Amino acid sequence: MHSFSNRILQGACALALLLTISPRASASVDDAQSFALQAAEPYVKEGFQVREDYWGGDLAAGEKKAVKQQLFKGNEYWFWLGTEIETAKLSVHIYDAEGKLIEETDSWQKGQFAAARVVPKTTGSFFIIVTIEESPEDRTHWALVYGFR
Amino acid sequence: MISLAKFSQLTLLTLVGLSLSAPGVEAPKRIDVKQLSKKVEDVVVPLPNEVFGALNKLGGVNWKEYVRNDKGSNFTERPRIALLLGTVIADGFIAVQAEDAPAVKDIGQRVLSLAKGIGVGDSITPHAKAITEAADKRNWVGVRQELDRTQNSVQQAMNEVHDEKLSHLVSLGGWLRGTEVLTAVVNKRFSTDGAELLHQPDLLVYFQGRLQGMPEFNMKLLQDIRTALDDVRPLIDVGDASISAESVKKINEITTRLDEAIYTKSQ
Repeated sequence: MHSFSNRILQGACALALLLTISPRASASVDDAQSFALQAAEPYVKEGFQVREDYWGGDLAAGEKKAVKQQLFKGNEYWFWLGTEIETAKLSVHIYDAEGKLIEETDSWQKGQFAAARVVPKTTGSFFIIVTIEESPEDRTHWALVYGFR
Repeated sequence: MISLAKFSQLTLLTLVGLSLSAPGVEAPKRIDVKQLSKKVEDVVVPLPNEVFGALNKLGGVNWKEYVRNDKGSNFTERPRIALLLGTVIADGFIAVQAEDAPAVKDIGQRVLSLAKGIGVGDSITPHAKAITEAADKRNWVGVRQELDRTQNSVQQAMNEVHDEKLSHLVSLGGWLRGTEVLTAVVNKRFSTDGAELLHQPDLLVYFQGRLQGMPEFNMKLLQDIRTALDDVRPLIDVGDASISAESVKKINEITTRLDEAIYTKSQ
């Protein structure tokens, strides 16, 4: 009986060790999304409705992804980008349909988080450009969520 | 002259400040949109309340006028149920704008029944309950959040069983109902800013593309929607020009006709 308990304990320890040394094995876009939502959290208190829908994927360092989004004049938008890779550096920028940078100055970037704010002067399509600026990984998961008020 | 200790303190404070929130990485002032076109992710279809919120800021809207109390018909064809589901969720956002708790609660139940009809009821039950609870507390922010979660859960459940096409129809139903109400409001009290909210040409192209990918749904209603979107496109794809009052009226007629067709059994 004692030896059986020991075996269970050993098995549990081995499993815990395995989980500790390979946290990335189970990392996914969902993890990246939880970080993007974490960046969005303080803004909910300011009246932003954060959408349930989101974009995500994986990119190599230096790679970009463009997301086209319909925005409405009169609303204020924030786009929040996140990854689970703590030492990665991300950026997000917003351009109008002609490719002109239009985001506001209070956009920010902090390691694995980045955010961009826009108060569109016209209603129409805009491009949200996501970039993995630096990352220790070959591919870096990212997720972009947005909110409006 | 600043002492070394003070300088160190200031440096430390500056570093802490920067690490808490650094400005964004310097971005190019211009990008070549044509080069990007091959790498662009699908558009996320806006929620009806994104446009309603913008519309509200242009002046008081009597949202109670647009709340629908009629429960509509029951259908067995899955594409029709999906379209209706999107429409009813949009009705939920209208009822929230009107702060009409009984209507919101009815809509929550209707959404649940439609979701069951399409085989994704299980994922909706907790949301329907949360909608009712939030409506009872007149927690409109909470209801809006739950309506968004409801639509997201329905679509995720559909995607999981490879019913992505039905998921697109849910979005389309919501967009049509939202556009019907938007044009009704602007038509009543025309303003260029209100009409500009219809400037959504890429969304229209997105829906046209999705409908083209559904040849197996050989239904008159979907054919009518395809034709209607073809008619609407030149009215809203006006470049830098303004969308006219006449165009708003025409779009309202088209979307009202489609909404009736989605809601009733005659088609």
